[in-house]
Amino acid sequence: MDKKNKLIAIVGAANVLDDPKTLEAWSQDESFVPARRPWFVVRPQNLEQVQALVQWANETHTPLVPVSSGAPHFHGDTVPSVPEAVIVDLSGMNKIIKIDRRNRMVYVEPGVTYAELAPALAAEGLRISTPLKPRPNKSVMASLLERNPTQIPRLNFSLPEPLRALGVVWGTGDVAFTGDAGSGPLSLEAQWQKNLAQIDPKGPNATDLMRLMTGAQGTMGIAAWASVRCELLPSARSYHFLPAEKLESLVDFCHQLERVRLGDEVFVLNAAQAARLFAASPDEIGSLQEALPQWMVVVGISGAAFYPEERVAVQEKDLQIMAQKFSLSLLPSLPGVTHAQVSQALYGCSQENYWKLAPKGGNQELFFLTTLDKAPGFVATVQAIAAELKFPINDLGVYIQPQHQGVSQHVEFNLPYNPKCEKEVAKVKAIFEKASAALLADGAYFSRPYGSWAAPVYNRDATAKHVLQVVKNILDPNNVMNPGKLCF
Amino acid sequence: MEISRDAYRAIEDIVGAENISDDPAFLDSYAFQWLAELVRPENSHYMPRPWAVVLPATTEEVQAIHRVCNKYGIKIKPISTGWYHWAAPMKDNEPTIQIDLRRMDKIISIDEKNMVAVVEPYVTCAQLQAEVMKLGLNINIIGAGCSTSIVASASTYFGAGPSSYYMGNNSDNLLGQEWVTPAGDVVLTGSLSSDCGWFCGEGPGPSLRGVTRGNMGSRGGLGTYTKCAIKLAPWHGAAVLEPQGPPPAYRLPIPENTRVYTIGVPSWDAFAETYLNIYDNEIGYIFHRQFNLAGADLAPALWLTYLRPDGTMNDVETASKDPEMQKLADEGRISFQIILQGRSVDEVKLQDKILDAIMAKTGAYKVGRFCEQDFAEFTHMYLQRLGHKHCNFIWVGGYMGSWMQAGIPDFVKNYSPVAIDGFYRDQKQSDGLVQCGGDALMGCGSSISGGGYFGFEQFVSYDPNDKASVQACVKHMYDAIDDCKANGIPLGKEYIYLMIGWPDEQIWNDFSKAPQTFVLHFQRKIKEHFDPRELGDRNYPWLPKGMGQPNFITQS
Repeated sequence: MDKKNKLIAIVGAANVLDDPKTLEAWSQDESFVPARRPWFVVRPQNLEQVQALVQWANETHTPLVPVSSGAPHFHGDTVPSVPEAVIVDLSGMNKIIKIDRRNRMVYVEPGVTYAELAPALAAEGLRISTPLKPRPNKSVMASLLERNPTQIPRLNFSLPEPLRALGVVWGTGDVAFTGDAGSGPLSLEAQWQKNLAQIDPKGPNATDLMRLMTGAQGTMGIAAWASVRCELLPSARSYHFLPAEKLESLVDFCHQLERVRLGDEVFVLNAAQAARLFAASPDEIGSLQEALPQWMVVVGISGAAFYPEERVAVQEKDLQIMAQKFSLSLLPSLPGVTHAQVSQALYGCSQENYWKLAPKGGNQELFFLTTLDKAPGFVATVQAIAAELKFPINDLGVYIQPQHQGVSQHVEFNLPYNPKCEKEVAKVKAIFEKASAALLADGAYFSRPYGSWAAPVYNRDATAKHVLQVVKNILDPNNVMNPGKLCF
Repeated sequence: MEISRDAYRAIEDIVGAENISDDPAFLDSYAFQWLAELVRPENSHYMPRPWAVVLPATTEEVQAIHRVCNKYGIKIKPISTGWYHWAAPMKDNEPTIQIDLRRMDKIISIDEKNMVAVVEPYVTCAQLQAEVMKLGLNINIIGAGCSTSIVASASTYFGAGPSSYYMGNNSDNLLGQEWVTPAGDVVLTGSLSSDCGWFCGEGPGPSLRGVTRGNMGSRGGLGTYTKCAIKLAPWHGAAVLEPQGPPPAYRLPIPENTRVYTIGVPSWDAFAETYLNIYDNEIGYIFHRQFNLAGADLAPALWLTYLRPDGTMNDVETASKDPEMQKLADEGRISFQIILQGRSVDEVKLQDKILDAIMAKTGAYKVGRFCEQDFAEFTHMYLQRLGHKHCNFIWVGGYMGSWMQAGIPDFVKNYSPVAIDGFYRDQKQSDGLVQCGGDALMGCGSSISGGGYFGFEQFVSYDPNDKASVQACVKHMYDAIDDCKANGIPLGKEYIYLMIGWPDEQIWNDFSKAPQTFVLHFQRKIKEHFDPRELGDRNYPWLPKGMGQPNFITQS
């Protein structure tokens, strides 16, 4: 049986695609990673089919590239690095398996998106902490597995939060659950019947298998379900803005804010990034940016369960006192930004036209982790390189998202460009490469080393690289899972 | 097995003659371990005697020792502050060097603004807590108390305590580690591996910490951890804890932004409802069930006697027969402690109001005597510092913690009565166990960061110097296993304790019946790579090739 017929036998003819248009669409993304056409795109519908695909891939040494979110993709991890690859499109596995209000857990398949999950959780009085205005077709599971930053740092008891347990088809073709789910029967239903919930991310045993799946870009296995911790949906909310002319003026305040775990959504934006985030349409971005302060801290406050309004009032009072202490003004709104626009930005998803692409059609992200005290230095580095290479400095968007209860900070630069203008593309690519090298040299931590970041990151520590390769060899001995990524 | 004297000399050359010993008197002080009598022949208090004990001072020395051990085939067993019998060598016929890390006792740095401390393995929770409280910060102290090593709880053991509900389990607080593999390689995790500092334990890419830092950690079975970074938590109290009152029941004053309560509930159902409401409402700084460790029937008599400067253990029996004390025992039979702490006085007042609303909803109540100032201040001291671990052994000098399976409130409320009934049954059958009432269940309000998941440990008190008592405890351990099996409950802590005394084949036979064996084979392969001479022990467990069913999909 040839490859196509074997794939059809596993997932059905309707779920095996190899027409040129489809393959072309999957051959590249919005990043500068070189394009490469896959041979097939397959759409499994359940865990059994995923396992059969991985077993077949091992038998035939066929590379698999798992993808859960809809396009556009941004980091090169969904583009095959080697020939003859099969894209495993998991978007059809989109069941919300269960919402457990009592224990505040939700169980999702990889194709469940933020746009689908939010209303389903809200109907049960729940929510999860989300990335900043995710695109509506962004997979919840993929976002968590890739440790995308989420907006509420006080809930980040660990960086992978709120991800808890996974059901994984490993590269070996074995199915094994992670966390506490890894100690029970190999069936969620059987575990639920025993009152076992999949809440503890650690384990099973002396290993934390979930941790080996995070940041892996699909190189270790394919997760078929995830359990995710939820929060109560607030019944009272407010938000506040603390403007400043310089980022440095906000650092001490943010340190204190995060230390005392005040507020829900907490992040820092510059005017360019804020204008894109809050603008109702791309046409508004320019004028809005002119009206906005150069830098701002955004603080969302909420109350749920008992006395929600009083919770908000107490936090607002504490926030006011803290703002005064640091000589910062506390604004209830931003000029030119409506309540609906802020609500959509903080609590909703992007429109179909993804907000980061809206200004010019293209956008290059550059992000890493650091500590807050070092963030202004890294911002200065990128600004200097952008200016040197004649990039309009006012277009450089900056977003700083506290993570892990304020210990680490996701620092993200956004460089919008017109993808149809070769000159702009070349300029942004040059800035990206030069700034990446400079940031790496200065100690920025590229914890999610996509594309060209991987080699310099892993070359920093040969021992750690070797250990990771040993782990990969155990979990995916034939290197069928997204080969060519990271250090594999 | 005889080890060449050259091995001793080689290690002596690394650390100096004053930092290595094979004097039997010293060695037996390492073999003498709590719980040994439950698993050793003739109920001996001694685990296998180490071949030698060595006290390195640096990571480089640890690495060099590991390499010598590889050359000569000497087993490696690191110990920092130690807890339980498994801190010692495991087998009589395997020459093992005990690597005592007490000279590695430095707090390397405290980054106040970014809330990170970097420590060596002999830094205890008490030491670091005292330093960081001066900066308005705190640390999660694990249930085993403030004299325990932070590196141990964060890198290689369980990591939960009364404050994990708010401050996080130390597994999540781990921000990077320095791991010397049995083969002698030094592995750095997280941001440290990119030379970016100690602030992130994840990545780059997949997190290497996942290899060893699972649920239980590797417990000294897969090399030595020589440093770690730990995330700190907010502290809104005094810069220095100033205990007051006469010993032993020191009291910590309760400031305006703090409340300390013992909360009782009428049933295990009400316990679960109260728990879930506290979890949903996100109140509480410390959440724990502490005082029942003495047994529900005797707890009030013990603790109120303990509070009296002139009280002695001889007073407890009489006190326990006082009708008022018995009434208090019933009032606090199913109870727990909660400490509320606000960043402002307004915030703690609101938390207080929310707690009142929860109690009104679930039928919970404040246990009056335990909420009076003297007892509340004692509770405050006890739980903020966790310095009363001697009380674990208070009845007759020994205890064994059984059960402790963690889960959601509905899981725990179902197994708690089984554990209580089983303990009560065994108490009635044998004089060897302390007759303290069936419920000696205690434990953290959350065994994972942020709540929603917890377990109770049954404190089975026995006299380690009385063989009949030891054997009664062992019988109870097997009874608890049978109770679990009969009720479809996963096995608890007693099973892990007992396993230390079993031959490999018996353990592997059990492991092979596990519903998922994937991880045990993964761990075997990890061991093959990083411990090719099998110098670590089975505290890092594995399953031999070919044993157990391969993982397959259950059709459901």
